[in-house]
Amino acid sequence: LICSCQRRACQVSLGDLFDRAVKLSHYIHSLSSEMFNEFDERYAQGRGFITKAINSCHTSSLTTPEDKEQAQQIHHEDLLNLVMGVLNSWNDPLLHLVSEVQTIKEAPDTILWKAVEIEEQNKRLLEGMEKIVGRLHPGGLGNELYSRWSGLPSLQLPDEDSRLFAFYNLLHCLRRDSHKIDNYLKLLKCRLIHDSNC
Amino acid sequence: VQSGSKWATAAQHHAYFYPLLFSSESFSNLSTLPLEMSSPKLNTGFQERSGQPPGKPELIKCRSPEKETFSCWWKPVSDGGLPTNYTLFYNNEGEESFYECPDYTTAGPNSCYFDKKHTSLWTIYNITIKATNEMGSNISEPHYVDVTYIVQPNPPVNLSLALNKHTDGKLYLLMNWSSPPLADVRSGWLTLEYELRLKPEEGEEWETIFVGQRTKYKVFSLIPGEKYIAQVRCKSDHGEWSKWSSESYIHLPKEFRLKDMMVWVFVAVLSSVICLIMIWMMGLKGINMVACILPPVPGPKIKGLDAHLLEAGKNEELLSALGCQGFPPTSDCEDLLVEFLEIDDSEDQQLMPNHEKGHPNKNLKSGNKETDSDSGRGSCDSPSLLLEKCKESRIPPAEFQTPDFSETQVKAAGKSSQETQNRDPELKLPDFNSDGVKSSTWPGTQLASSQIPKGSYHNIVEVCKVAFSAMNVNVSAIRMGNEEKHPSKYSKNIETICEGEMTQRRKGESFHSKAKADQALQWLLPNEKSPFLSDKPMDYVEIHKVNQNGALAVLPKQKENSDKTEIYPIPGTTKEYAKVTRVVDNNVLVLMPESRVQGMPVFQEPPKESAQSLHQSQAEKNMSYCLTAPSEFRLQTGGLEYMDPNSFMCSFK
Repeated sequence: LICSCQRRACQVSLGDLFDRAVKLSHYIHSLSSEMFNEFDERYAQGRGFITKAINSCHTSSLTTPEDKEQAQQIHHEDLLNLVMGVLNSWNDPLLHLVSEVQTIKEAPDTILWKAVEIEEQNKRLLEGMEKIVGRLHPGGLGNELYSRWSGLPSLQLPDEDSRLFAFYNLLHCLRRDSHKIDNYLKLLKCRLIHDSNC
Repeated sequence: VQSGSKWATAAQHHAYFYPLLFSSESFSNLSTLPLEMSSPKLNTGFQERSGQPPGKPELIKCRSPEKETFSCWWKPVSDGGLPTNYTLFYNNEGEESFYECPDYTTAGPNSCYFDKKHTSLWTIYNITIKATNEMGSNISEPHYVDVTYIVQPNPPVNLSLALNKHTDGKLYLLMNWSSPPLADVRSGWLTLEYELRLKPEEGEEWETIFVGQRTKYKVFSLIPGEKYIAQVRCKSDHGEWSKWSSESYIHLPKEFRLKDMMVWVFVAVLSSVICLIMIWMMGLKGINMVACILPPVPGPKIKGLDAHLLEAGKNEELLSALGCQGFPPTSDCEDLLVEFLEIDDSEDQQLMPNHEKGHPNKNLKSGNKETDSDSGRGSCDSPSLLLEKCKESRIPPAEFQTPDFSETQVKAAGKSSQETQNRDPELKLPDFNSDGVKSSTWPGTQLASSQIPKGSYHNIVEVCKVAFSAMNVNVSAIRMGNEEKHPSKYSKNIETICEGEMTQRRKGESFHSKAKADQALQWLLPNEKSPFLSDKPMDYVEIHKVNQNGALAVLPKQKENSDKTEIYPIPGTTKEYAKVTRVVDNNVLVLMPESRVQGMPVFQEPPKESAQSLHQSQAEKNMSYCLTAPSEFRLQTGGLEYMDPNSFMCSFK
């Protein structure tokens, strides 16, 4: 990012901010996807976890667009708000994920490492998004959205099977939400920076 | 199944309604029992029919090309010999109702197409397929699909290849393509990344280049003149790679580089220079490369038969060569009347070229002008000795070189047809300082050349012949004003001879000292008609005495040619004698037959074949006397004291 001196303060351009944000969101989703696949291969085979992971994400209370038309119709402020809400909602779960995944029996290092990385990058993305929002809406977005996560106890269940399913579910939801954020940000970038002409 | 209407639509897809009645019942249990087993009792009525309930269908894959719609395909099952119907049911995450596939056709057979309305992202679809036939139905395992993760775009389109020139003049390939038509990249809904690959047409491996999100690319470092194939594919940011696009071709023009041309020009110039140098050096050294590479193939020859003679129409010589000795004396004989056997040991003696050939410049060096007059010439290194040796052994001419004959030239007697090959012009008569006799070289090497290679013309006969012919040539040449080295010397003789000839009388040429006789011997050349000296036996003469004038009286040793003997008018009794009238230039022995010798045959020593040359000499026409060497003339070098008058006596017609 190039800091260009405008007026008094040195500022990164909005385009650069969005580029950075999109890069982060893309990266986070890649990590999440890999982590989920690894976990699925190693721990979830034949357990039918997928059948149970229906409507089980804590962020599902946030109404997000589910297809392109819906996403294009929503106002960018609202979309930004939603992105912020989802990102904020994941702060806590990611923190616990890092600490709890280590308790998994023989958890591979890759999973552990990825959990740590995702948690870090998510914080950075959050900061970047706050900057963007501050640029676009200096007064703040208002009506901040947030979903509380209450899945920690399930990560600590003594029953191995239940515990694994809790992790599976968490990772499954993480994968999905990171994809949502990535998609929304790319939409916003093209819309706001490139005038819908990417 | 909750909605009857849905079932109504579903029923339309069934080919058989009859089974439907049975299956509808079983379907009513679907909500509770997703997995349905065909009830055997339902089929009892049809047991006698062939066929079985269908196998269990299986979903192969589901794909979304643009993250807005998606399709699913299933594998047809063994239908048990009966027509089978398939139905697809899906359940949305968060919804409890199952829906049937909205479109069975758009995506092809055994497929279900979900349009935009029926497609939701970030939700799990529970899809099942049911196969139904008369005998029953079968349902597949549930398949959980989230459209978010099944994105595989169509290949990019409009791949165009164009050659452009870069700023530095280099050619590069500009590749352009477009995203697949359905993908919405502009809004950012779909983010595509591209990958190129290209290879030369005959290449085996593809060069794959990841391009990112751009839709154009420049390729440098291509091989000029090659034809390239290029393809492109794309991938959604978190999806799968598309198939490769159709091939595009481009043919690069061949590059003309001045550098390359210069290299070739340089190589060509260098090699031509080297060739020229080599040729020049070979020319310097006189190496005849052609002869080296392609040694001349000796033509077929009948010994004693000269093809040239045949051509020339000289039948006489031809026949005589074949062994008809003494066959009709040729007119040459008359020519020979004016011939002298001139024995000249002067270096400068020049042999007249065979007028036939007329190569005056081939002046072989004559023998030294030694005035080693009276030497008996019996020394080992006397030329005559050598000659004799030669004759006996038929030494190749080369060896004769030492003895002062440019035999090669001598051999090419007369119009020697024999001489087919040119003598080595460089073959010069060596100087016989030791002997004091220098063979006079006869220009007109052609005279002798042919004979020499045969290796057998080393008899004095030949020599005499050559000399004779040379003499003829000499005479004629003189008359023609040939450029001879020492025309004066010879001319004098020849003039004299001619005069003598003309008048048909004998001039009493003075005899030279017999000292030269030795040399003269060598120089005695029988005027042999036959051009083929090879097998001629060498006649020799015995020097009977030397009279007060220095005339050399010779006694022929043998007369093999009876015919020849006839032709000696002179030799009555003195047939055997030939008198050396004089010696000219210390090298030429002028002989005069004792009786009625009309002409003074001047024999010049030419190791040249003389017979033919003699023929040509017009001067000799008037010769009333000619010395002809009988074919069997053989001059024995050893017997210096012998001289066969036949050798230098003309055969009289």
